[in-house]
Amino acid sequence: MIQDVVWSVSIILMGALALVFIWVATGASVAIANYGPVIDAAYRLRVWLFGIALIVLIGTNYKTVGELPYINTLPPLPAAAVQPVQVVGQQWMWTITPNTFKVGQTAEFQVTSKDVNHGFGLYDPEFRIVAEVQAMPGYTNVLRYQFTEPGTYQVLCLEYCGVAHHAMQAQIKVTDH
Amino acid sequence: MTIAATAGRTAINPRAAVLAYLAVSGIVLLLMMLLGLTMRLAQAQWIDVSPDFFYVVMTMHGAGMVGIAGLCSAAVMWHFVRRHVPVSTAVFLTNLVFFLIGAVLILGAGFIGGFGAAWTFLFPLPAHSGGLWSVNAAAAYLVGLIFIGVGFLLLHLDIARGILSVYGGLGAALGVKQAFGLAHGEEGPPPAVTASTMALIANILGILVGAAVLIISLVNLYVPSFTFNALAAKNLIYYFGHTFINVTIYMAVIAVYEILPIYAHRAWKTNWAFYLAWVLSTVFVLTVYTHHLLMDFAMPTWTLVAGQVISWLSGLPVLLVTAFGTLTVVYRSGLRWNPAAALVFLGVAGWAIGVIPAIADGTIAVNSVMHNTQWVPGHFHTYLLLGMVAMVLGFMTYLTNPQSRYGVAWLGYWLYLLGGVVFVLAFLSAGSASVPRRYAVHVAQWLPYDRIGSIGAACAIAGVLILIVRFFVGMRTAASAQDPSG
Repeated sequence: MIQDVVWSVSIILMGALALVFIWVATGASVAIANYGPVIDAAYRLRVWLFGIALIVLIGTNYKTVGELPYINTLPPLPAAAVQPVQVVGQQWMWTITPNTFKVGQTAEFQVTSKDVNHGFGLYDPEFRIVAEVQAMPGYTNVLRYQFTEPGTYQVLCLEYCGVAHHAMQAQIKVTDH
Repeated sequence: MTIAATAGRTAINPRAAVLAYLAVSGIVLLLMMLLGLTMRLAQAQWIDVSPDFFYVVMTMHGAGMVGIAGLCSAAVMWHFVRRHVPVSTAVFLTNLVFFLIGAVLILGAGFIGGFGAAWTFLFPLPAHSGGLWSVNAAAAYLVGLIFIGVGFLLLHLDIARGILSVYGGLGAALGVKQAFGLAHGEEGPPPAVTASTMALIANILGILVGAAVLIISLVNLYVPSFTFNALAAKNLIYYFGHTFINVTIYMAVIAVYEILPIYAHRAWKTNWAFYLAWVLSTVFVLTVYTHHLLMDFAMPTWTLVAGQVISWLSGLPVLLVTAFGTLTVVYRSGLRWNPAAALVFLGVAGWAIGVIPAIADGTIAVNSVMHNTQWVPGHFHTYLLLGMVAMVLGFMTYLTNPQSRYGVAWLGYWLYLLGGVVFVLAFLSAGSASVPRRYAVHVAQWLPYDRIGSIGAACAIAGVLILIVRFFVGMRTAASAQDPSG
C-alpha cells in the first residue's frame, strides 16, 4: 500500500538526515583552524545536493501529478461501467445509496454534506484507508473507486465535525458475485 | 540605530519584557502540553475522558499551542531585531496584553462554555454545536482569536515601521538585491532583519485574511441567515492558519542564526543563496496553503497541483540553506556543547527532518490515503515540538545561562529529545496505519500507538518542565545581565 511505501521511505530519509546531524554534532569538538576550505567544500557539496534534490523533485512531481484522483482529470467511462453512489454526510451519520457492490465494480461517490464539513474516508476490510474526499455543504465532490477485494468496507468521518465525530461511521458490503 | 537609541524610546526594560514573554510562554506551553498528554492518555484508554470534554481539550490545545508558538517565537525575533532597528517596547508589551485577554476569552469559551469546534473553527461548525456550546461561547472564542491577531498585527506593524526607517523598504530589508546578484551578499541586512521582514509580510497578510473570516463567522453566529461559502471560508482559514503557524518557525530560527555562531566561534555567512532562500520562503509561505485542501475536489485543480509543487519546493530553502548552514557552522568548529547550543542545533534538525513527512503529505497521491490521519500531527509535531520549540528553549537557556546547573539542563534536554522522538514516531506510524486524527475514542488495534505515544509525551513534558523550571530559576539575574558572548 502507498502508506507502507511512504512510511518506509520517510523513516529512511529522516534517519539518514538525523545521522548527518549526529555525525556533525559528535565531531564538533575537533577544531579546524582554517574555516575557509570548509566553506568552499560545503558550497561545492551544496551545488551537488541542489542538483540531486531538483532531479528528485521534478521526477516525483512529474510522476505523481499524472495520477490525480480528481474526476476532471480521469478518463471518462461509459455510463454502464460506473455505479453512481449518493453520499450525504450530516452530524453524525452517513447516508450512502447504494451501499452494496461487487468486486471489480467502479463506484463514483457523489459526496456532499447537509450541515458542516465532513470527510468521507473509505477503509478496506483490513481497516486501511484506500480513498477519501471532503464532504462539504454546497458542493458535490466526486470520488471514483474500483473495488478490488470482497468484504466489509468502513466509512469513517475524516474531518472533525463535532462531539460525535468519531462515531460517524457506515459500512459498505462488497461481494464476489 | 543602536540599542541605546532604541532603549531611549521607553522606560520599560526591553530585556525584562522579553523575559515576561518567555515566562508566560513557558507556563502556557507546559499547560498545553499537559492537555495534549490528556488526549493521548484518553485515546490510550489509560484515563477516562468524555468525548465532549476531549474535544474541548483538543480545541484548547490547538488554539493554545498555535498562540503560544507565535508568542514565544515573537520574543526571539524582537530580542534580536531590536539590535538593528528601533522598535517600541510598549507595543511589544501591548501584544502580550492582547494575547492574555485573548487567552482568557478562549479558555473561558472552552472550559466554561464548552466550545469544541477545533482550533480551525471550520465554517459553519461554530454555529452547529449540537447543543454542546452556546452562541456566546463560540463568539468568545472567535473574539479571543481576534484579540490575539490584533496584538500581533500591532507588533508586526511596529517592527515594519522600524525596519522601514532604517532600510527604506521591505525589499531592501529582505535582501532582494543580494538574492538576485544586484548587490554583494556581505552587504546585505543582518539575518534577524531579513527573517523579521519575511515574518511581518506573511503575518500581516495572513492576520488580515484571518480577521475577515473571523468576523464572517461571528456575524453568522448571531445572524444565521448571513451565510458564506464553506469552501471560501476554508481557504481563508487555512491561509491564515498555515501562514501564522509556519511563520513561528521563521521567527524562532533567528535564535539559531544569533546563538550558534557565538558558541561555534564562526560567523553565519550571508550570501546570495541565503537571501534568495528567504525571498523564496516568503513567496512559498504565502502560496502553499492549498496543500491543506487537496481533498477538496471542488477546488480548481491547478491550485491543488500548485499546492503540491510548492510544498516540495518550500523544502529546499530549509534543507539546503538553513540546515546546511547550521551543519557548516558547527562542523569541526571546536564547539564545546552546552544546552543552549544543543537545543538550537536540535531545533534545526527537527525542522529539517520534519520537512520530509510534511512533503510526503503534501503529495496528492499520498494525501489521498493519509489526509487527516495521525501522520499530520506526526509531521507538524516533528518540526514544531522538536524544531520551533527547541529553538525557543535554546533561546531561554541562552538568556538564563547559569553554567553550574548544566547537569540538570542536560537531563531535561535528553528527556525532551528522546521522549519527543518516541512521541512523533508513534504519531507517524499510526498515520501510516490509517489511524484518524482528532478522534476521542480509539478502537483496540490503535491502542499500541496511543500508549507508546503517551509514554513519549510524558517523557518530553518532564524534560521541558526541567528546562522551564531552570529558566525561572535564572530569570531574576537574567533581567539585568548581558547576553552570553560564548
